[in-house]
Amino acid sequence: MRQHIAWIGLLVGGWSAAAAQGAAQAIASPFAEGIRAYQNLDFDQAAALLRRDLARASGSTATLSERAQGFLYLGAADLFRGRRDSAVAVFRRLVQLDPRYRPDRLVFPPEVTSVFDNVRVEARAVVLVAPADTEISSGSGAFTFWVVASAFQTVEVTLRYQDGAPFRALYAGPMGDSLRVQWDGLDAAGQMPPVTGELAGIVQLPLDLRAVHIDTLPWPKPPADSQFLPERAGSRPALRALLGGVLLAGTVTALPSVVGSDHPNGSRLVVAGAVGFAGALGYVLHRPGRPLTANIATNQAVRARWQQSVAAVKAENVQRRDDVHLAVHAGEATAIKPSAR
Amino acid sequence: MKLASLGFACAVLVAGATPSSAQGLVPAAGLSIVSTRVRGTDQLTGTVLGGQGSVALGRIGPEGANGAGQDLVEGVALLGVRPASWLRLAVGPHARSYTLTGGTPLRWVFWELRARASSAFVGSAGRGYVELWRALSASVNVPEPFDHAQGGEAGMVVHLARAPLELRLGYRIDHAVLGGGSRLETVDAVVIGVGLSGR
Repeated sequence: MRQHIAWIGLLVGGWSAAAAQGAAQAIASPFAEGIRAYQNLDFDQAAALLRRDLARASGSTATLSERAQGFLYLGAADLFRGRRDSAVAVFRRLVQLDPRYRPDRLVFPPEVTSVFDNVRVEARAVVLVAPADTEISSGSGAFTFWVVASAFQTVEVTLRYQDGAPFRALYAGPMGDSLRVQWDGLDAAGQMPPVTGELAGIVQLPLDLRAVHIDTLPWPKPPADSQFLPERAGSRPALRALLGGVLLAGTVTALPSVVGSDHPNGSRLVVAGAVGFAGALGYVLHRPGRPLTANIATNQAVRARWQQSVAAVKAENVQRRDDVHLAVHAGEATAIKPSAR
Repeated sequence: MKLASLGFACAVLVAGATPSSAQGLVPAAGLSIVSTRVRGTDQLTGTVLGGQGSVALGRIGPEGANGAGQDLVEGVALLGVRPASWLRLAVGPHARSYTLTGGTPLRWVFWELRARASSAFVGSAGRGYVELWRALSASVNVPEPFDHAQGGEAGMVVHLARAPLELRLGYRIDHAVLGGGSRLETVDAVVIGVGLSGR
């Protein structure tokens, strides 16, 4: 029960909000004066004001919705003035302006909506709704746009060069209110399906195509010299061993004299000889120019890592060169009269 | 030179520890075989077994004779600092006791100041060291007054690559002067040791 009450409350709230929004729009509309005259049943005055305001209105002063509303009130006013032909003409312009537009059946009586519906079916107007800028991958991606029609009809969607020559038929056949069309960005040769019936109109949508190449990556810089370890032994460790051994052996030999003893032990010479031999052995083991295998292996690992990163960048660049994107910029759609075939 | 006797004793584990470049104390232990010779009023020589930290037990006997061996006990306790990675300064008592040929025990107690410098000279495995010390004061049970004493040690330590062991070979000598030079005591030794390395 509580849920029921809550649901009803929302419904009423939505209704009130919609009504308030409609009133506010009517007052703020550039056609408010004519609409107010229509609501006061002064249809002659309403028609005059709305016709004047519609002649002045442009894309910058009135939105598409406001202009559509102005046309609807003008057609309704003409209809109630007994000028049905004029009303039909106004409704036709309304349908061509916005095929999706539908009159509010709570505001306008069936006399108006039935005439409008007849015009909408007969007018068979379409508009194209396309994103301003699209970037797709040729073949795998798709440039998508919508064809919106005022009523059921047969349409033909063809991509043409700027001089009008066709190069790709995207769709030919019947459609209802709207039709989603995709173009994979590829030029394909093919026969266009035969179009039967009278061509009611052509809408041109200029597409500015541009091939976009993704920048390739720069190669990684080779390792700096500071990252490499010396691969050959220098002379310093060898000289250090040799001179250290000599110095230490001399110290052992001279130690009794240093401490003031006058009876040196000959065994110290054995120690001095061993130390000197160790120094000489160290010189041989650390001789200058000796290859340092551990450093060589470390340097090879550094070079291998760099070569791997270069190979990875090369592979990525090959992929980027092959991956050409197609940038599509949709311009302003224009309706043109079909020429006799 | 003849070794009159060979003395063996269990080495005492080092009571000290070596500082290791701001990483805390690294325990170390060592065992040394020391060929010692004493030259003073008597000339004694022999081999003792010692531990790092300078506690040595053994027997020495008259040089060039076949007399009975004499006990030799020697110990050093040092407290030191390492102002640089290659330098160690230490101070502490050094006690030595042995018996002269006539049966008179001779006991020395030195208070020593020691300076030890060491540096690698064969790669990083072979380190050379030189240590000098001088007695700040001494106590000895002989009639002559103590004059001065000093000594030194030099050698090398080889760290084994595949084991936490180090081999030590060195030569050390102590020289004491008493009674204005009327009595000279010299103790020198060749030290061959093996120790645990904390590196």
